[in-house]
Parts: sequence; structure tokens; C-alpha cells
Amino acid sequence: MGKKELILQKLREMLPEGAVIQHDAYTSGVAFVARVPVSGIVEAAEVCDRGGAYLESMTGLDFEDTAEIVYHMNVYEPKSRFSLRVLFPHDEKIPTLSGIFSSAVWLEREVREFLGFDFLDHPDPRNLLLPEDADFHPLRKTFGKIAAYRKREEIYA
Amino acid sequence: MPKPIAPPAVDRVYTLNLGPQHPSTHGVLRVLLDLDGEFIVKADPVLGYGHRGHEKMGENRTYKQFMPNTSRMDYLSGLLFNHGFALAVEKFAGIDVPLRAKYIRTICAELNRISSHLLWFGTYVMDLGGFTPFLYAFDDRENILDILDRVTGSRLTYSYCRFGGVCQDVDETFLEMTKTFIDRLRSRFSDYHNLVTKNIIFIHRTRNVGVIHPEQARQFGVTGPNLRACGIPFDVRKMEPYELYDQFDFEIPTGTNGDALDRYNVRLEEMEQSCRIIEQALARMPKGGGYLNRSVSSRLTPPKGEVYFAFESARGLTAYYLVSDGSPHPYRCHIRVPSFSNLHVLVDVLRGTMVADAISILGSIDVVIPEIDR
Repeated sequence: MGKKELILQKLREMLPEGAVIQHDAYTSGVAFVARVPVSGIVEAAEVCDRGGAYLESMTGLDFEDTAEIVYHMNVYEPKSRFSLRVLFPHDEKIPTLSGIFSSAVWLEREVREFLGFDFLDHPDPRNLLLPEDADFHPLRKTFGKIAAYRKREEIYA
Repeated sequence: MPKPIAPPAVDRVYTLNLGPQHPSTHGVLRVLLDLDGEFIVKADPVLGYGHRGHEKMGENRTYKQFMPNTSRMDYLSGLLFNHGFALAVEKFAGIDVPLRAKYIRTICAELNRISSHLLWFGTYVMDLGGFTPFLYAFDDRENILDILDRVTGSRLTYSYCRFGGVCQDVDETFLEMTKTFIDRLRSRFSDYHNLVTKNIIFIHRTRNVGVIHPEQARQFGVTGPNLRACGIPFDVRKMEPYELYDQFDFEIPTGTNGDALDRYNVRLEEMEQSCRIIEQALARMPKGGGYLNRSVSSRLTPPKGEVYFAFESARGLTAYYLVSDGSPHPYRCHIRVPSFSNLHVLVDVLRGTMVADAISILGSIDVVIPEIDR
């Protein structure tokens, strides 16, 4: 059994039924998606860390009705990427993963400055790419010119 | 009466601003170094000087309009980013690509990879004080730029790929030039090894310098040649084969120590592997079959949902994460860039090293700052 399968098994045990969806065809670039509640993200990340995964990418998504962060994890094996997804209200603070993955420090700084999602007890909450005094969040759909602001269900049926 | 000279402040940390104008820091990298004598206590990269908002631009443009942006992130391997974006959208929208176009793209992408590594090779050795290899590397790189210029129309910021192929076909001269170049580069490797690889000064400045441990690499998400130098054979071209990479015979070079010398060796070996891929592609490329799928609409609308497409750029695992709401504009266009993680690991690696080594380590990592800033 590969590392990915072991992590999958652990996440299945941890999360409620139906929270983990497998994509065997790998069409969207991930082997499985785990929907994790905000309160469980640290524990889920620890499972990934112990299983030998690395945090590849962190993306914030802004919807009209909710905010979302997608954590893409990968292990050094063929076709082994998977993602953890967290849904939360825009003004809620998310637990930081910087105590588990070092890479989360910068990734969270980027998500915070561009989308305005705050992280609880982040060790270094300065701006990373934007000017240090920037108080705007350019990737919010309420900033500047946008094509559309959608509810989450309009995209993910 | 003259003022007495103050004793040297031994217990004080001295802050040194390295860059952005320092010639040996690539692009516009600025690092704030806290020094204790000559040793680095803390390194804090200051980023964002090259931020242009590509992700926001992506949300406001159609998929096709975003194509020229892709080569302006990592401007040294622009064609690879170009190629990756075309592949991501093709996968998303289910577009077929003619076989000939796949071969053309692979050849051009690997040529671009070689040119990126050659530029790194030249500038890295120059960072360490060797000027001659730089001239040799740029001489070779110039050949690639001429070859790519003929077919793509640009020398650096390519916009050659289209959804469903490439924008123009290659001719016999292109194939001939590529063949000649590969033979020429093969003969130059021995010069490179004699000039640099066996040079005792070079070895002393790179061996056991800037060691990245495999665990450290995992913690920071390091990918590409920097990860392979730690001994982990992780290459997207093998792990998630895209385009035609599963049909070519090539190896993933790896190192053992994860130091600057290993990173150097891995990149040099990688150039030879790219030569092998190009030779195989040249031999197998079909003569006809078209270079572009003309049925693709310019106002493309992928189905609702998302795609995360990873490919191997010259610096490591790069990925486009596209979310579509079914309109011609992506709802979210995130780009995972390898230099972001590769530079982040330096915060850890530089601690406890000397300033002179910092230059060697920064160079050996091969970061492109506009790629991080996006």
C-alpha cells in the first residue's frame, strides 16, 4: 500500500462518512478530495504530515456565500496528489498549519494578503508580495473589475 | 582632544541588506540578513517587487487572452509555462491535439529547458567568480534562442502554444538546426566538465555548501532539481506523465548530499537527458497530420468545476489550478510556482552559513523572482 492509500485510510477513519470522495480517473488532478471542518484541519494536516506528504499549494476561493481554502498535498509517488478543502464564513479565523508544515508560513501569508482570510496565531502575519502597508485584498471578488461573483453551489453542484 | 575610538561591537547583530541592486542576486531578490560577524543569524527575503497580479488578470481575461501572461512569470522557461497552460485548458475542456503538434511542443519545451539550465549554469559560475563559462553557455543558449525565434517569433516571452496545438508549423530547417545544435551541445559538455566540474575552486565553493536535507525539502515543499539533488527521484514527467513523456526513454538524475554541487550535477545531467528526449522526438515526429486543432473556439468555455494540472518546469513542479463557472473567464486562476517553495527553504538553509556562501547558495537554488511575485 502506498503512502497515499495510508493517508486516505486514516482520513476516512477521522472524518464523517461521505467527506472523502475518491477520483480514480485523476481527471481534475487529484486522487481524492477530503472535505474537512475548520475544527479538524490541524488534525487532518498532522495525518498528512505523518504519512509523508508535503503541502504543495494553498488556494483561497471567494464565493458570495462562503470562503474556502484548498490545500493540495502530494507524496513522492506516481499520481498521488490529493486535496483537503475547508469551508468557512469570510470573517472566521482559520487555524494555522505553520506548526506542521514549514511551507504553510508563506502560503498562508499569501492567502491572507490576497484574500483577507485571517489565520489564528500565525507566526508572521506580514504581507509577502503586496506592499507592506497594503490594506486591500486584490483577489476578493469585491475588489476591482471582476467577471462574476458566484455562490459556491453555482460551480460545485 | 580627539574622541576615543569605540571598541568593536562584538555582541551586536549587524543587519545587511543584500539586493535588490546587488549584481549577484538574480532578478530583484532582496534579502535582509542579520549577521553575527560573518555568520548569518537570520535571513528574511523581501518579495513583491515584481508583482503584476497575474492571478487577478487571469480572472478578468478569457482563457486564450491569458496565454501571453503565462510566459511572463518564469521568463527563463516561458515556453514550458505556455505549454503547461495549454495542457491544463486542453485537459479541462477536453480538446484533442494532433500528434505532430505534441512532438513540436515537446521538442520546443525541452529546448527551452536546456536554455534555462544553460543560463543558470553561466550565471551561477559567474556568481562564484568564473567569467569564461558564462560566455560559453550564452554562446550555446544563443543557438536555442535562434531556433525558437524562427518558429515562435520571440526569444524570451513565447506565446507559441494554442489550445489544440501550436500557432505555426515547423519546417525542415528547424529540424536540421535542432539536430545540429544537439550534436554541438553534446560536444560542449566535455568542455563544461573540464572548465567547471573538475575545477578545484568551484568544488570548494559548492561541496557541502547549502545542504538541503530530504526532510527539510518535504517540509518546505521543494521540488525540481533542488529536490532531486537530495536523492528523491521526483519528476512530474515520470510521476504524472503528460504529453508524450511516457513514450520517451530518459532518466531522472539524482544527487546524494543535497548540496550546491549536487544541484549543479543534477542540472547538467538533466540537460543531457533533455537532449535524449529531443533526439527521440525528432526521429519519431510524423511528417503530416496538422499542427493545430482548428475546431477550438476562441471563446472557450470549459465545463463547471476545476482542474489542477501539474507539469515540470525548469525549476520544479508548476501547476495551474483553474476553477470554471462555465463562462469564458476562469473564476479562479491560481498558479503554483516552484521558486516560491525553493526560496522559502533558504530561510532555514542560510541560518548559520557565511555571507560568501550565501551568494553561492542563492545561485545554486536557481530562483526566478518574477515567478514568485506573479
